[in-house]
Amino acid sequence: MSDLGTATVEQTQRSGDTPVLEMVQPMAGFPEVRRYLLERLDESGVICDLRAVDNPDLRFVVAPPQVFFDDYAPEVDDAVADALGATSAEDLFVLVVLTLGATLHDATANLMAPVLVNHRTHRAAQVLLDRSDWPLRAPIAPAGRSGRVATPVG
Amino acid sequence: MLVLSRRVGESIVIGDNVTVTVLEIRGDVVRVGVDAPREVKVHRQELLAELADTNRAAASPSPESVAESIAGLSRIVPERPESGRPTRRTDDPEQPRES
Repeated sequence: MSDLGTATVEQTQRSGDTPVLEMVQPMAGFPEVRRYLLERLDESGVICDLRAVDNPDLRFVVAPPQVFFDDYAPEVDDAVADALGATSAEDLFVLVVLTLGATLHDATANLMAPVLVNHRTHRAAQVLLDRSDWPLRAPIAPAGRSGRVATPVG
Repeated sequence: MLVLSRRVGESIVIGDNVTVTVLEIRGDVVRVGVDAPREVKVHRQELLAELADTNRAAASPSPESVAESIAGLSRIVPERPESGRPTRRTDDPEQPRES
């Protein structure tokens, strides 16, 4: 089961067109933006772009989390899977939103609120895992390999 | 805003199927239980605000940042990623959510 995250990004794009993702739970802070294009930004297909269909100036840079965090395993409520139209875990893949800085060492990944995508239905949701201890801003440089906060809060 | 006074053990009902119960008051901390259908999202407000701030900070990075990050990634990611499938969790519907 290697290459799963990237393989499913490829699956989503297999039709040749750039897929339009329909956010059933929009990005927090951007409630009115429901449709995003999912595009690859690099040749290896690691970094992707979520670009708002109706506002090309709005984009998020996303990536499969396993590139940076090999111990990252978010748990998803059944209600979220249902909202995405997922009939099994194989339908879903995970992307994390990157906050980029001047260099890669300044970049962080949002592990507390991943974007889940159903590659069959193209429905997506940003899911806030507020009972987890995954950080909102985990450094993605190699030194920050583990995304876990040492002490869970709450 | 509707303002109500409640004692410990008393509840308010929102809509047809959301019940909020005051469980405990200790000093300036009020423990609240929320009983809602699983499709109703219940979050602490400040965490949602923090997430919105993080999203705004992430939105629309400069082309230079994107180019630099892609270049940096090609150096630190020599191989394709491994599996990272999410696991599903079934909440116990009998367990009230607290915040």
